[in-house]
Amino acid sequence: MEPRSHLHRVLSEGHFAVTAEIGPPKSADGEVVRRKARILKGYVDAANITDCQTAIVRMSSIASAVLVMAEGVESVIQMTCRDRNRIGMQADLLGAAALGIRNLLCITGDHQKFGNHPEAKGVFDLDSIQLLAMVRGMRDEGKFLCGEELTGARPEFFLGAAANPFADPFEFRVKRLEKKIRAGAEFIQTQIVYNVERFRKFMEMARDLGLTEKAYILAGITPPKSFGMARYMKYFVPGLDVPDEILKRLKEAKDKREEGINIAVEIIQQVREIPGVAGVHIMAIEWEEAVPEIVKRAGLHPRPLEAEVRSPIAVEVEKPVERVEVLAPPSEKVPEEVPPKLEIPVEAVKEVFSTVRSSMEALREGINLLHDSLARLERALLGGEVVPEEVPEVPRLEVKVEEKPVAEEKPPVEEKPPIEEARPPAEEAKPEVKEEKPEPEAKKEEKVEARVEEKPEEKPEEVKPEEKPAPAPPAEGVELGGFSGEYRPLSERAAGLPEDLYKEPGTAFIREVEIGKGEKAFKVGGTNVLPFHLFEGEMRHEPRIAMEVLDVKPEGWPESLTRYFADVLDDPAAWAKKCVETYGAEAVCIYLMGTDPNYLNLDAKHAREVVEKVAEAVDVPLIVWGAGHAEKDVEVLREVAEVLGDRGAVIGPVEEANHRTIGATAMGYGLPVVASSPIDVNLAKQLNILLENVGVALDKILMDPSIGALGYGLEYTYSVMERIRLAALYAQDDKLQVPFICNVGREVWKTKEVGLPSDDLLGDQEVRGILMEAITSVALALAGGDLFIMRHPKAIELTRTIIRGLMQQN
Amino acid sequence: MIIAERRPIPKVLKAIEPYERVLVLGCRGCVAVCSAGGDREVETMAAALRLARKLSGRPLKTGEATFIRQCDPEYLAPLKDMAREYEAVVSMACGVGVNLIADLFPEIRVYPGVDTTFYGANPALGEWQEKCRGCGDCILDVTGGLCPIARCAKNLLNGPCGGSQGGRCEIRPEVPCVWHQIYERLSARGELDRLMNFFPAKDWRPAGHGGPRERVREDLKMG
Repeated sequence: MEPRSHLHRVLSEGHFAVTAEIGPPKSADGEVVRRKARILKGYVDAANITDCQTAIVRMSSIASAVLVMAEGVESVIQMTCRDRNRIGMQADLLGAAALGIRNLLCITGDHQKFGNHPEAKGVFDLDSIQLLAMVRGMRDEGKFLCGEELTGARPEFFLGAAANPFADPFEFRVKRLEKKIRAGAEFIQTQIVYNVERFRKFMEMARDLGLTEKAYILAGITPPKSFGMARYMKYFVPGLDVPDEILKRLKEAKDKREEGINIAVEIIQQVREIPGVAGVHIMAIEWEEAVPEIVKRAGLHPRPLEAEVRSPIAVEVEKPVERVEVLAPPSEKVPEEVPPKLEIPVEAVKEVFSTVRSSMEALREGINLLHDSLARLERALLGGEVVPEEVPEVPRLEVKVEEKPVAEEKPPVEEKPPIEEARPPAEEAKPEVKEEKPEPEAKKEEKVEARVEEKPEEKPEEVKPEEKPAPAPPAEGVELGGFSGEYRPLSERAAGLPEDLYKEPGTAFIREVEIGKGEKAFKVGGTNVLPFHLFEGEMRHEPRIAMEVLDVKPEGWPESLTRYFADVLDDPAAWAKKCVETYGAEAVCIYLMGTDPNYLNLDAKHAREVVEKVAEAVDVPLIVWGAGHAEKDVEVLREVAEVLGDRGAVIGPVEEANHRTIGATAMGYGLPVVASSPIDVNLAKQLNILLENVGVALDKILMDPSIGALGYGLEYTYSVMERIRLAALYAQDDKLQVPFICNVGREVWKTKEVGLPSDDLLGDQEVRGILMEAITSVALALAGGDLFIMRHPKAIELTRTIIRGLMQQN
Repeated sequence: MIIAERRPIPKVLKAIEPYERVLVLGCRGCVAVCSAGGDREVETMAAALRLARKLSGRPLKTGEATFIRQCDPEYLAPLKDMAREYEAVVSMACGVGVNLIADLFPEIRVYPGVDTTFYGANPALGEWQEKCRGCGDCILDVTGGLCPIARCAKNLLNGPCGGSQGGRCEIRPEVPCVWHQIYERLSARGELDRLMNFFPAKDWRPAGHGGPRERVREDLKMG
């Protein structure tokens, strides 16, 4: 039989095939598709284009396929049963065939519930197996589904289907595969394989049924881009089996992406050994740049029949394409430079930074406002004099000066330009602040006078927020008087409108949880409104920040963070003391990282000693955070609780797996617990219910929704927290009326960006880290966060300043 | 039975806003059994409407009645006279009752007092679950008595999709995957080979996609 497509030819000639996935954009920008195709060109036998994957509206797979073919890459279109009935499907398939598309993957499709139009009416007129049979009927028998004759050219597709070896019931999976092959599937793409053992078993069963003789099976491969992504896939993607070992590797890897690629290459090598595996299908989700690297390292480059790809397709599509190309000539060059060198997708980085930049601008605007108010306050109270209380500032700047010679790689001369270059954008941003502009500038001048000595001072364009906290405390003293003059209450601005039009206080209060005991104890929670909606209700307690110390000397922290603790890093007690005495920490979180069985596996005795020492050294409330290993934490926290008994402290994290044991310990000693759940409203609620069932009262629980740092899932965390808070306040969901604790520092300071050196694009390394941590915290405070665990003293000051500013609006 | 749920009061209030005398009319059929539109619910609805209108300064007079069924003309017959005293009727029957009133008595303004939701069972107190979608072409004989049309979010006819995990549906993990249940049922009976048969594309006409459905039995017709 003449092969139906290039992919078919590669497979039928016995080559180990490589396909990769292209996700079309959520826009009409064809260049995105073409760019992705250019990245893949020469590295794959065909590119597989998704059909609104996860039910999110995107450019259609057929249209995208034409763009892909215009770049000389063969396409496989996916077609789901979700969005079209049999009439629409047959029509689209005739069209696709006429456009030169030769490969079709038939799938049922993700349910619309998972997408961005959950209100949609799902069609599901056919299922994937019926779709296969229908297309085969059109192709082989020349009949439409209704039985009517298809006269003229038939759609000559090489037909594919999906198989998931990891879904249940396992024994039936291979039967279902058989069903699909019987219905017409000639090639099969499997769900992402991480659990190679289970996949091997599946293949063995497929071989026993003779299926590997009847269809080409391509194993699904996805390089995990980050630990977060792998964790997400493990817990939230049904039918995906991610072994703990993969998570562990990613967690420990310094360069997550590099490790992700390594994992993908290893899995390819392993599945290649399994008899009956005819190729791989690489799904580098929004990370197409990784594909060439993976293909090369897996020894699958060059592709065997590369040269033949172009002709059959180009003939049919070239003309319209040429025109498109003329329109966008410069684009050709860019990708050619991009794919070979970069390990980080430029687009993604750009995106991250544009987000960071816009967040910075927003922050800056907020800060300018604060500046403004402060300046006015100062003028009012002190007759234009600067509040001179900036004592902590000077030593810190000195530290910087000392550091410079230490940074050997970069002579100080080099370090300045990026700083200066970082400034212009900041200044450009200013015009947006319009009215406020004159005052902050005046303020700046005053400041420069106050501290003549240092140039790096100017850099604080961003760092300036750090200086603010110094003026802030005096402002706090006169807080209400000072700010009420400036802040016009909403009731005043809305005068004339009935109050119930703009006020909607919640129908319940978040529980108040007492953190610590004695003089320094404080409470969190106790609000009946969305964060900082002080005009319509009450926030009895402001969000608080705990500083984090580790039980062992941290590894891999960037110097921009460690320099503040350099003298105390190997002594948790001294470290905690420094947090409290130098940086004014209101609480300290001891992270017992060293007890992690996957790390140093230190014993409970070690944990006890550390906690004992810290408890003696400081009098602020403590939070003791275990290694996050369900079993080990039970043992460690039990030991620790004994020491903490009278002093009081929060312990955690409690998960479903250990809620009984740790819950019992906490109850025994009357300690609040941190209830950790993986970014999910229902799981958070369920854990609270479970804890309540074992006897832990809701006012002894802090919810840890598992947060993501800026650029690492912050939005997702935000929306889950927001939904939890809305349910708690407005839907009488009493099991969710519990304050949030957000472990921010750990998430932020493990990101790649905080460790990258200063440069033009990313700006100053330290400022970047501070902003990432502060932005993450402030964003989560706006989502309802009540207690934050943070690391960088300046990020903490900045966060605190903004929170106080928001709390003063009353 | 047909399951229904009380319509949100603000919606009902909006519908009857212009009127001062309204009859709340219950049904002792399915909606009474599923505690949505029987005598008790009629009383509650009428009281709620009166209260809300009193608060808004436009008191409402309500009448309350419950018929044995609202889906048969003979039971509805008394409504013709009864309704004269009222400007509108809020029917607490399923959508069938509302439609039949509208068909029979064009002069009566009838508004729904419940949202009709599905055909379901009442497996436990206070709990109703959809079990049938009335697709008009039963396939329960091959699926072990468990309906994938009503109980699978994707209406699959050829076995569990890739989102079936641990016997749970990926759409709502608290719901069992009906295909997993079918698999287990047939597996226990040694009838798994049934699942290997290809289930061809379904004819959806009997499911209502061919216009309103009718059933006629000549032998039962009178005259």
